Amino acid sequence: MRWSDALRLSFESATRRIGRTALTALAVTLASALLVALATIVVTANSRVINQVSKGGPITAIRVAAARAQPGQLETDDFRLGRPLRLDDLFVGRIGDLGGVNAIAPVLDLDVLAVPPQMPGGPRRIFERMVGVDLRHPEHLPVTVLAGRLPAAGLSNETAVTLGYLDRMGLDASRPEQAIGHRVALAHAQVVRSLSGELDYRGRWVAAEVVGVVAQEAAPGMFLVPIEQTHADRAWALGGIGDGDRQPLPNSPYSGLIVVADSLGDVRSVREAIDDLGYSTSAPEQLIANVQRYLRVVDIVLGSIGLIALVIAALGITNAMLAQVRERRREIGVLKAIGARDRDVQRVFLLEAGFIGGVGGIAGTALGIATAALVGSFVNRYLTDQGLAGVELSVPISIVVAGIGGATALALVAGTVPARRAAHLPAREAVGGT
Amino acid sequence: MLPPKPPVDGRGVSVRTKGLRHTYRTREGELTVLRGLTFDIGPGGYLALTGASGAGKSTLLSLIGGLEPIQEGSAEVGGRSIASLRHDDLAAYRRETIGFVFQHYGLVPVLSALENVELASTLSGVDRAERRIKAHRLLDSVGLTDRAGHRPAALSGGERQRVAIARAMANDPRLLLADEPTGNLDDASTGQVLGLLESLRARHGCTLIVVTHDRSVAARADGLLHLDDGQVAA
Repeated sequence: MRWSDALRLSFESATRRIGRTALTALAVTLASALLVALATIVVTANSRVINQVSKGGPITAIRVAAARAQPGQLETDDFRLGRPLRLDDLFVGRIGDLGGVNAIAPVLDLDVLAVPPQMPGGPRRIFERMVGVDLRHPEHLPVTVLAGRLPAAGLSNETAVTLGYLDRMGLDASRPEQAIGHRVALAHAQVVRSLSGELDYRGRWVAAEVVGVVAQEAAPGMFLVPIEQTHADRAWALGGIGDGDRQPLPNSPYSGLIVVADSLGDVRSVREAIDDLGYSTSAPEQLIANVQRYLRVVDIVLGSIGLIALVIAALGITNAMLAQVRERRREIGVLKAIGARDRDVQRVFLLEAGFIGGVGGIAGTALGIATAALVGSFVNRYLTDQGLAGVELSVPISIVVAGIGGATALALVAGTVPARRAAHLPAREAVGGT
Repeated sequence: MLPPKPPVDGRGVSVRTKGLRHTYRTREGELTVLRGLTFDIGPGGYLALTGASGAGKSTLLSLIGGLEPIQEGSAEVGGRSIASLRHDDLAAYRRETIGFVFQHYGLVPVLSALENVELASTLSGVDRAERRIKAHRLLDSVGLTDRAGHRPAALSGGERQRVAIARAMANDPRLLLADEPTGNLDDASTGQVLGLLESLRARHGCTLIVVTHDRSVAARADGLLHLDDGQVAA
């Protein structure tokens, strides 16, 4: 018997008891849906958690400070800062030459005096830090947009603010979009000595519009601006004399770097190489490793739950198919009497099981993705309420393939025993009696 | 021993058994249904097998038809020993040499009359277009062209048996085995079915063995073998 004929016959057989077939397929559908939904949620949650651990930026990011590393730096994820060290383009070039480095994003953060729009109960002025980053490549930055957008690269009249700004302004953090459109005057100080010999602070004022609200970990600071602006402010400050520790001169062209490694596996070697150059670094590599370990446990637990459901569904298929064999003993005998080989009969029953599994797998995968999307929308609503960025549902093709293929394969396995039993029924069943 | 009958067109096969003995193992113990049965039928012959229930008629049919293994004695069909056939060879023997007609029709309920007739050729791996043409022709020969698309449940008993006969003829069998083919039919349908079997035998020249309880059916055969307690009755 040809495969195509066996497939057709198995399809006809599957539709013989449509209620039983539908119920069996429904069990497979629900089990596949559970497995696919759990897998989708796990994959999405994994990326979200890892992303969160890496502060919204690439998970392979290493932060480099404009300071010497203290002993034992590599044994911790955090900075162990020593005395200040100049971070310039020459050093950036040397890091770029290291193996395993994918990208470098310079950071320059400075003190800033901000005058926000006057609001009831709001501050008249804010002394904070302004973080300048290279906004031409925001994908390399540990920055997550919560509302609005990032400032355009190179412009000095746009800024993004953090949730700290909303807090200072007395705004509801769950509605970050309220801050968008605020006009803020920003100034960095230049310290000069007056004719009377006293130190005099002069500001370089810039009027900027708040275009976005972000969560950012590039450097401590409430205002995120294009690095070109902080470069100009640094040049302005260097025109003065500084004021000791109170207002030191920003001698280093960059206050930090974000070095993105090619992969998580490269983070350690790149960090070691930067450490050899004498700079202090921080990277959440140990934290990520720990989190990944815990997530793996979650994967296993949730995967096992889905798998158990699928195995139960498979047992349902076995049971339904065995019932089919019992009911169709005579028909199987007749098939053999008119010339069917054992393997022909086995093929028909296996394909029938595979058909039920395939249908259940397709429906279950679709249902699972829909369920995950529904859960995702609830989670997103909650995250937004909490002033956090939402998650983007991630459905890798491997989950779809595993959902459909896994259900079909398991159904084929489940159908093996009934199919073998049918194949080994004696042809005499066609006659009955003596 | 029955006298051999010359084949109509040479397709029929001889059937020869010698000392056939068959025992079933049941919960209650062993049950011997054939006790050294010997008979012979020539190519193209028409034999009626009669006997009381449990006399061993269906078992004899099963042994000749290759539905179960021969335990003791021998059976040759067309000069070939059936006892030597195993697995796929036995399936091929059933497919290529035997045509079965059952009292219960043995039709697949989810297939139409046409598809049921096709099924035998399907198992032989015949091309779909070719087997469909043949199935149509066979249904036409049993007078059921207009019922081709109907499922068995929509057919009368006589019609179902005619579909079963058409299916039995699909692979041009050399030996047609009918187990109580009229057992579930009324007189009119019985006459139709028997007439059909006989005309097909005449047309195709196959050997025909019919198991029956009905004396009038048995009377139409060229030879009669009456079984009593697993032996040929005197």
